[in-house]
Amino acid sequence: MAALLPHKPPPTAWLLALLPAVCSVPAAGAEPGWLYYGGDQGGRHYSEAAQIDRSNVQDLEVAWTFRSGDMATYGEEMKKTSTQSTPILLPAAAGESLVYCTPFNRVIALDPASGAQRWSFDPQIDHGGDRPFRCRGVSYALEPRTPVGRACRHRLYLSTHDRQLWAIDATDGRPCAGFGEGGRVQLYGDEGLVPGEVSNSSAPVVAAGVVVTGSTVIDFVRATTPRGTVMAFDSFSGQPLWQFDPLQGHAGSGSGSANVWAPMSVDEEHGLLYLPTSAASPDYYGVDRPGDDLYANSVVALDLHSGELRWHFQHVRHDLWDYDTPAQPILFDWRKNGEVIPALAQLTKQGFVFVFNRLTGKPLWEITEQPVPPSQIPGERAARTQPKPIAPPQLLNPFLMPADAWGLTPWDRGDCADQLAGLQNLGLFTPNSEQLTLMFPGSLGGPNWGGGALLGNSGLLLVNVNNVAFTGQLIPTPDGSDPASHKQDHPAAGHRMQVTMAGTPYNIEIGSLQSFLGIPCNPPPWGKLVAVDLIEGTVAWETALGSVHEMGPVSAPFHIEWGTPNLGGGIATGGDLFFIGATMDRQIRAFDVASGETLWQYTLPVDATATPMTYVYGGKQYVVINAGGHHMFGRDVGDYLYAFALPD
Amino acid sequence: MLAYCDIRSSRDNKMRIRQGLICLLLITPLSHAATLVVKDTQGSPLPLVMVTQSPASQPAANLSDDGYTPDGVTNTSAPVLTRFTNASGEVSFPDPAEPVTYRARAQGYVDAQFPAIEGELVLQRMTPEQYIASFPSNVWLSQLDFGGDADLKKTFQLNCAFCHQQASPFMRNERTEEQWLSVIERMNSYGARLPTDDQQKIATLLREEYRRLREHPETVPEPRRWEEHLSAVEFTEWPLGDGFSQMHDFLLHPNGYVYIGDNLFDRIYELDPNTGEYTVYKVPHDEDMGLGGIMGNRFKVFPKMYNYLGVHSFAYSKKDGNIFITPSMQQALLEFDIKTKKFITHEMPAGFYPHTIRVDDKDRVWFTLALSSQVAMFDRSSGEFTIYDLPARSVKEWFILKSLPLVFSISPEHRPQPSPDREGTGLPMPYGIDITPDGMVWVARLYANDLARINPDTGEVTMIDFPFQGPRRLRSDADGNLWIVAFQDSLLVKYAPATGEFTSYPLPVINEVPYALNVDRDRGVVWVNGNQSDTILAFDIAGESWNVYPMPRQRFFSRDIEISEQDGAVYTTNSHFPTWQSEGGVPTLLRITPLAE
Repeated sequence: MAALLPHKPPPTAWLLALLPAVCSVPAAGAEPGWLYYGGDQGGRHYSEAAQIDRSNVQDLEVAWTFRSGDMATYGEEMKKTSTQSTPILLPAAAGESLVYCTPFNRVIALDPASGAQRWSFDPQIDHGGDRPFRCRGVSYALEPRTPVGRACRHRLYLSTHDRQLWAIDATDGRPCAGFGEGGRVQLYGDEGLVPGEVSNSSAPVVAAGVVVTGSTVIDFVRATTPRGTVMAFDSFSGQPLWQFDPLQGHAGSGSGSANVWAPMSVDEEHGLLYLPTSAASPDYYGVDRPGDDLYANSVVALDLHSGELRWHFQHVRHDLWDYDTPAQPILFDWRKNGEVIPALAQLTKQGFVFVFNRLTGKPLWEITEQPVPPSQIPGERAARTQPKPIAPPQLLNPFLMPADAWGLTPWDRGDCADQLAGLQNLGLFTPNSEQLTLMFPGSLGGPNWGGGALLGNSGLLLVNVNNVAFTGQLIPTPDGSDPASHKQDHPAAGHRMQVTMAGTPYNIEIGSLQSFLGIPCNPPPWGKLVAVDLIEGTVAWETALGSVHEMGPVSAPFHIEWGTPNLGGGIATGGDLFFIGATMDRQIRAFDVASGETLWQYTLPVDATATPMTYVYGGKQYVVINAGGHHMFGRDVGDYLYAFALPD
Repeated sequence: MLAYCDIRSSRDNKMRIRQGLICLLLITPLSHAATLVVKDTQGSPLPLVMVTQSPASQPAANLSDDGYTPDGVTNTSAPVLTRFTNASGEVSFPDPAEPVTYRARAQGYVDAQFPAIEGELVLQRMTPEQYIASFPSNVWLSQLDFGGDADLKKTFQLNCAFCHQQASPFMRNERTEEQWLSVIERMNSYGARLPTDDQQKIATLLREEYRRLREHPETVPEPRRWEEHLSAVEFTEWPLGDGFSQMHDFLLHPNGYVYIGDNLFDRIYELDPNTGEYTVYKVPHDEDMGLGGIMGNRFKVFPKMYNYLGVHSFAYSKKDGNIFITPSMQQALLEFDIKTKKFITHEMPAGFYPHTIRVDDKDRVWFTLALSSQVAMFDRSSGEFTIYDLPARSVKEWFILKSLPLVFSISPEHRPQPSPDREGTGLPMPYGIDITPDGMVWVARLYANDLARINPDTGEVTMIDFPFQGPRRLRSDADGNLWIVAFQDSLLVKYAPATGEFTSYPLPVINEVPYALNVDRDRGVVWVNGNQSDTILAFDIAGESWNVYPMPRQRFFSRDIEISEQDGAVYTTNSHFPTWQSEGGVPTLLRITPLAE
């Protein structure tokens, strides 16, 4: 439960102090910035910047590039990284730097016009353990309790791979001495740091004097894993304020996690914090965690100041598929029939979009109960029903029958049809068993941590969706499996992975469903961009996202737009454009939000598995994306940051 | 309408004693019953609240055969009881011997779960959104008009509403046309026959019309209100099998047991309704036989399946009590020896898809052959089969029917698949069968919309046009009239062979697609399955009036009805396919009995 501790700042004072800095809509005449990881505190991935629009986007060119130096410094260790960071642009009072973090949690500040480095901060993280390194971003806040002109009035907060919460001065990168011990708070307790077991990937949330951080927990290699406790601290002192264990004891002692690894959102005006919680451990076996496992696989609204539960919605009961809540809750104004409702849209790996009144949790689209198949594993009581919104439709089609098998030739198509005919396959939420079972979508999604982008207040949500079928199989195993030997979250491209679930009678083997040619068995596109009209509850359009020309044994000299798996998100702009990298073809693309037509694309040195951002600085609009690749893609990695702008 | 505890008509002393015991069991506990009063938030008593008492857990069972009861093993099913509050909002249950839980359900009120029957229970009204969402499938289905194409809607209902409900909440979810086409493709692979030419049209219409209903739910009519007669009855359910089972047809045997067939797992459940004990008999099959028998396995993507024979319909011999069973996936007839509990297989010389079965007074076994458009008669005295061909409707159909032996000589994996049309060309599908008191055999052909009469003495086959669509199952009443459900026309139809007259009776619930029926000959009542409305419908022949019985589980889909000759108790099974989509996720045998005064 939430534990209130002293030193609670007065909420209204914070609101007044921070209002100029946090308002998502720039003041008249102000240049649109990008102050938060998700564009605003509600993760809309939207900028009003409209200098780059449909008429001129094809003229975009590289404005500057920057390399973090990680490739030179870390060499082979880079193969264990995924570059996921989205920079933020600090306000003028904080130095107006463009700030981002590298996979090793180095924080770098750049001149937003030239890309020249201004300062950097290296938290010197513990590299122990085998878990991959990643950092999605940092968070900024003005600290009114620090006098004007003193260090650390403008702060950046960073949660690191080795479980440290740092506060550093936004103007020079120096640690804030009054925060915790020398600028950091350790996020683990008496159990000490177990390198790689628990880490952090998303930026902490900071609002109204409260800084909140979740965690990334390895929740599949053993039955009982660390708790997924969300922690809140005083943003000035680092004093703990409250904690929230999402499982609240509901999953019994044979489980853990339900951590919050995806970005959180905050509605500062109403003092509400929104947590996207993940699955309880272990991901694919729930005998020892009977029941729904609340509040795992949920969006949870907490009181920002006390950590007390306000409302929740669980989108998967008793998860057996690793359907974590992967994406930042999107806060927006629902405008329908003259009514304006403060709303929240939650994307799920299953490809659903659930929409709520974010103050009450009341669904704005009816949620129906979908009966789902039972499990055949002894003692496993799968939920009898799972929630499904009456609208919008699921963003991918989970029905895949042998007749749908796809292949380049009759032979690989036949191979796929045979494989499909041998799978247990009753659609979404078919529990894994000792027989090979279709998992569509698999643990990759559907949507994933890239989330979606809302086109302003239009209600149009743009989402990049994975569309590759997986298979899974529970493999009985004797005791004594080594949980340290299997550490991937998802199978790397084209591979099957077997993961121990120590403490259970099974391992799980998962891989993509593909022919002997290594081509997915489901029809393309294997990655797509979907435009969802949240107000009408319909899909406005969808199009393939990505070219497979570099995915074969040799690269084709032309693009083959069949879509690729994708990680990272996109952003929408006032120029009616949607920018996204994310694909396995090194491209950053700009789409027309009205039609889905690709209007511009650029080839980067490596894949850009990060969400871009945009800002206007010095009268010029820039689009910036981090291009460093992703270890799961099994392709080249790098340490690039690219900025694009129109020619002068 | 129901007369219970009338033991005068019982045929022997043992039976009368058994009936007497049942009456005692029903009456005695009431003297020790606890009473609950259900009220609304204003403090007014709520009549017609459905209160269900469920065991907190089922008794431990031997389910060691891949999750199912092994052959010859006896387990026990603890019953689930449902009663309704009276005009004073009161309902009583006997004190349970084992821990139980309760659920209260009323139209327009939010379900309440509670641990004990005592004192008062207050039900909260549903919000308008919850209320509309709670409506059963049939009222939603009634508002799909398929762009005004009534024939297309009937085609849709004929081919898409015989396994499960169509407009249940999760069917109404917004889907793209591509997603609807995928649903149709999957269902056709399971055995639906939605015509190829209609698939795209229907995908478009389902997307458009479900969206219209979502945007204008106020156009959906309210379901029929529950009525006073309900407070005088009790439902008893026995859960059997699991979420992959399908308890299809069943039989009330004069020995007091109920024999229920798990169509997908080749098992017969012999259940004693007095104790809930059931013994399972697993139908043996040849070692080299594949799943799905000669039909091939249509459910390859299912995690669990054991349907080498596909036990379908049941009838017993009045001579020795042996039970005859149609194994749909075989060219054979099964006999279950009621004394030795062994199965005997009678191989057939011809015919495909043994379907519904009856035994006449001369101990001849009659059953339809649904795929080959034939009727088979097995003469027990000679051990010989006689096959009656029913006429083809066209040369093309004749050719298709005659080519079936050739088609079935090809392995299931390589067998050509038909491209169905709206008329079901090649598949007139003789379905229901019954024998009138004069010994005539009557058959309904579902896709051909006609009836066949077979004179067993002469072998003469006479075809009679059925002036409605979808004659599925039929039964004779005591006067020799035939009662037939018109599936996609939503009608109960009477055919009087003496005059050749058809009379239709609208069902008391809107847009029902009735699957089967049975006639309580002694009491003059026709009982009809109400699968889209979660009901069983009772038609009083003399008064031409209906009583409607709401089922205690949503998505309750029944295909067979049996009536106890002795006491008029009515039985049915919940055989929604797939079972896990039914509320509770497990098949049940359900009995409706009147409560003692």
